[in-house]
Amino acid sequence: MSQTGKDEILGRLKAAPKKAIPPRPAVPPLNELALNREETIGKFVENLTSLGCEVHRVRDPGEALAKLTEIARAAGLKRILASEDDVVAPLDLPGWGRQNDIEVFTPKDCRDREDFKRIAFEEAQAGVTGVDFGVAESGTLCLIHDASQPRLVSLAPIRHIVIVPADRIRPVYETVTDKLFAAEGTAPSHLTFITGPSMTADIQATLFAGMHGPKDVTVILVEETAA
Amino acid sequence: MKIKTEQFQATAREELKTRHTRTHLDLVGLLLREKRQATMGLFPDPAAALDLGRTIRAEAVERLPELLEQFERNAAARGAVVTWARDAREANDHILRIAKEHNVRLVTKGKSMVTEETGLNEVLLKNGIEVFETDLGEFIIQLLEKPPYHIVGPALNIPVRQICDLFLDKGIMKEPTLDPVELGHAARIFLRDKFHYVEMGITGVNMAVAETGTIINVENEGNIRLTKSSPRIQVSVMTLEKVVPTMRDAMHMLRLLCRNSTGQLLGSYVSMDTGPHGKGELDGPEELHIVILDNGRSSFYRDTEAREILRCIRCGACMLECPVYGKIGGYPYGWAYSGPMGQVLNPLMLGQERTRDLYRACTFCGACKAVCPAGIDHPRKFLSYRAGDARGDPTYGAKRRPWTERSFMEMFTWATKRRWRWDLGLRSVRPFINRHAREGFIRNMKGPLAGWFKSRDFPGMAPKTFHDGMHKRGK
Repeated sequence: MSQTGKDEILGRLKAAPKKAIPPRPAVPPLNELALNREETIGKFVENLTSLGCEVHRVRDPGEALAKLTEIARAAGLKRILASEDDVVAPLDLPGWGRQNDIEVFTPKDCRDREDFKRIAFEEAQAGVTGVDFGVAESGTLCLIHDASQPRLVSLAPIRHIVIVPADRIRPVYETVTDKLFAAEGTAPSHLTFITGPSMTADIQATLFAGMHGPKDVTVILVEETAA
Repeated sequence: MKIKTEQFQATAREELKTRHTRTHLDLVGLLLREKRQATMGLFPDPAAALDLGRTIRAEAVERLPELLEQFERNAAARGAVVTWARDAREANDHILRIAKEHNVRLVTKGKSMVTEETGLNEVLLKNGIEVFETDLGEFIIQLLEKPPYHIVGPALNIPVRQICDLFLDKGIMKEPTLDPVELGHAARIFLRDKFHYVEMGITGVNMAVAETGTIINVENEGNIRLTKSSPRIQVSVMTLEKVVPTMRDAMHMLRLLCRNSTGQLLGSYVSMDTGPHGKGELDGPEELHIVILDNGRSSFYRDTEAREILRCIRCGACMLECPVYGKIGGYPYGWAYSGPMGQVLNPLMLGQERTRDLYRACTFCGACKAVCPAGIDHPRKFLSYRAGDARGDPTYGAKRRPWTERSFMEMFTWATKRRWRWDLGLRSVRPFINRHAREGFIRNMKGPLAGWFKSRDFPGMAPKTFHDGMHKRGK
């Protein structure tokens, strides 16, 4: 069916009378593009906070781990699923977990897809990931998904803890997508923009967090990352 | 899904009696309108941003065949399987075939108006495949077997009491509660198992980017992400107008879509697929199927006026602005698409005969057009459908108006064509009309016009016309 269907549909579309394509209007650049580094970070934090996310600013990866310990203790976390992206991997979370009596699962530990899904859906009390970018204009966390960044880590557990290197914060979406989609064939197979916790207002327009994804999104913003 | 557009008047009458619906609509409308205005105001130049969105959508529709081919080429190059379906049946058969080939027993779905349009769920269920709607609102209306009330909030109108009874009845929870948060939590727990073991995920598509072959979904709950991440097979269904030229265009439309539908800067989750998952990934689809559905759209595309509705991005802003929708809600429109966008689209898809009440339910206030981020002129379309009725234009199956109305209009036209006829007419109807006037106003009238005066007054006719008065003075 597909070939004849396609030909028929496209045939009709192409045979239709043409109308002039309207010219693109001039649009002033977005406000965030004019911000300096500190203001951009400020805007990012301000947006995250207004979405109900906790944001902790720390100096370096060592402090980030200390903050993570604090968060895990306060929430009574015993089992954590962590990705292996280039922000989280250098922190050696499995080692950190052993010191703090917390079981840390990583994709590497999983026998297969089913095993990973079981941990993500049934075991993990929190998912820990880094980000590829943060976007100031809406407090958005951008994750490129690949073998080191499975999709369910930031999604299935009720709590998402995100480690954001300050130098990865960009002003607007286009600064991210221009780079990621520049060359043919190199675009990430899956890219996610996360803006706040999982929300719904489907019952009586009552807004609440934690519908299907994380109820809490906690951001640890790291000023300086190891070179 | 059953099409009930013919029952517009009867359903609207019922809905007007539901006080719950009314208060609720007023409140939600007010709240969302305020949030939309606030977020739109964050653009450095909101009018220019709106204008750009409208231009992008207009361009996308005018370049449709070329963009679709480009999209297909790029998506296929990244390993997505793109299929074209001429109608609902072809789309449903194709999806069913994929499911059967993989022995799929359990499907989860992200909210998608297009699969409401094609009635996909019924087909899968009939073939022994379990299907769960996973957007909280869609989940509720699937259990209730009701159509969506609003394209963004499909169950916005259902009272908590009813949801509680429903969840108890269907075994979704054990203890009764009237707390929306607890009801939501019960749904989370129930659907979690489905997400864990789902074998095929079906979603709609908010945008398809021609330049990159990427499909984009926007949501708040995370159910679409789960539907795309957990199973090995992903099927995403798009109607052919979803395509935009570039990723930059998509980003701008994202801003407009989220501001206009929910008053957010961005939905909680925007997920973008360019082909299936990569090597060594533990989750995400091994197979990504994209279905491009026509279902009559390419036929009305030849009509350069009608094709304007293909610019629609399904934000729902027109509904919340519409004074008619604001009183009667989504059910009377009788199909997946309600409010002004449905009033424009449904006659093209279903024919004018069974949708004639839809495009008459309009006050021509123009609020929908004013707010539309896609640049659709809804009222103009309603006028053209009405004109089609008057002419009995067969293009969209318009049937002529009743002979009484036609002969009245013909008489009226005849009477207004000559000055003397008009003057004579005025003089002869004046005593008849003014018989009903009290203190200069006609407040009610018996006979065929009674309905009109139910909610309106009409000034009585002056004893003589302006012209008559002036003539006398001149003499």
